[in-house]
Amino acid sequence: MSLWRALGAETMNHLASRPGARAVTLVMVSLAFVVFNTFLLVSWNLERLLHRELQAVRIEAFLSPDLSQTDGRNLADLISTMNGVRSVYYVSVSEAEALFRAEMPEQERLLDLLSGRFQLPASIQVSLKPDYDDEAGVRALARAIQGLEGVTEAVYGEEYLPGLTRAVSAFRKLLLFLGTVLAVSIALVVAYTVRLSALRRSLTVEVMSIVGAPDWFIVAPFLVEGTVTGLLGALGGLTLSLLLSAILQGAVGHAFVPPGLSLTVVLFGGATGAVGAALGIRPGRHSGGSSK
Amino acid sequence: MLIDMEGVSRSYGRWPALDNISLQVARGEFVVVSGPSGAGKTTLLRLIWMGDLPDRGLVQVAGFRSDKIRRRDFAGLRRRIGVVFQDFRLLPDRTVFHNVALPLVVSGASGRATRKRVFSLLALMGLSHRRNSLPHQLSGGEQQRVAIARAMVAHPLILLADEPTGNLDPDASAKVIQHLIDINRGGTSVVMATHDPRRIPPGSARFLFLEGGKLAGADRWHDLEDQR
Repeated sequence: MSLWRALGAETMNHLASRPGARAVTLVMVSLAFVVFNTFLLVSWNLERLLHRELQAVRIEAFLSPDLSQTDGRNLADLISTMNGVRSVYYVSVSEAEALFRAEMPEQERLLDLLSGRFQLPASIQVSLKPDYDDEAGVRALARAIQGLEGVTEAVYGEEYLPGLTRAVSAFRKLLLFLGTVLAVSIALVVAYTVRLSALRRSLTVEVMSIVGAPDWFIVAPFLVEGTVTGLLGALGGLTLSLLLSAILQGAVGHAFVPPGLSLTVVLFGGATGAVGAALGIRPGRHSGGSSK
Repeated sequence: MLIDMEGVSRSYGRWPALDNISLQVARGEFVVVSGPSGAGKTTLLRLIWMGDLPDRGLVQVAGFRSDKIRRRDFAGLRRRIGVVFQDFRLLPDRTVFHNVALPLVVSGASGRATRKRVFSLLALMGLSHRRNSLPHQLSGGEQQRVAIARAMVAHPLILLADEPTGNLDPDASAKVIQHLIDINRGGTSVVMATHDPRRIPPGSARFLFLEGGKLAGADRWHDLEDQR
């Protein structure tokens, strides 16, 4: 029991000592996390933007002229039950003509010339579910819709969707790569900053080892100190990033990273702080006994 | 034997610090190891407290063997050994009391037992009035006496002193030497490394001479004394 109390006192002694050096370490760690949070912020918002683009993808199913309006609406109901479909909208012949005239007024005369000989087909506009945004899935759904009786053609933007999904996929891979590189760099910065702080106490480690302190007794206060430093540094970085985000909000509209991701980053800070302390403090090295 | 070294060698790179050393120290013995700077005195002491391990040969101290010791055993070994250094190695941000108490604190001794033992040792060393001082507020002699108190506080079997008077004036050195002799008379084995063994009263210790990493024995020391 006395040993645990002594360990608690030793840990508190670590946390209370050298406030100046600790402040410098915290600033360093916080700045490292500002960089990391900025990357997350930019990535998060770009990802949202791309996701919104993919959400705009729709399938348009053109219906046979022989199909009555009632059959067309029934077909729309059927399509709405298909996997990946969020909503459907039935566009009647008259509505299609009205839409054409509204969207292409310069072609209105052509429509008048063809009146009686040609009519725009009725169609069903199909919106997709939020997670249904890969090109293969959209193509499969379009084929399924095209296979339905009464549907003459189903189009979905074949000319740009493959390129868009490839670009999004490449972009996500790039973000993952950059994020990993940055996370490792941040971990190293935090770990080595905490490690330098720990190395300043090499005399304490050496003396503790010489007077017979067990390794865990020597290491534990440093691990707590490193973890606390990492956590506080990450929290400091998060606070600074929130401030930065609020300042920039007026100039560039954006959303801050979700709380869950922010919490993960703070926990990541604590873990890297602990690893840094563990790297900095190896009692065996100071005692010479590590060669065994 | 409390300390038994058999054919021990230790090199750092190409430089042999110790070469085929054999040394036995009995319980309650006072051994003075002298020799010029770089002779291997500090390495010899480090091998005894196993701050370093031999390249060849075997070191046995208080039942711990250098060839079998595990990482977790070092703490147990070092609680049986007190070590005093030339540069004191006191923790600068802790008071005299807390520096002396450290070996008891890390071994889980109760607060009451720790206070009782530390106060009695500080009184013995003439440092009671300094118990709340920080190391930098003490003279060199006082710091070394604090270091000796720290080394003795956990009742070690062996006290190792590496040039304990190296940074002290003659008066402070004499006091430190007397403390070491008193500690030895109390039953603790003492191994002291010094480049100037003349400070130790003849007859109070066994003298060994270390030169170029080899033990030359007492004769060599007497030869040098005669040349003086």
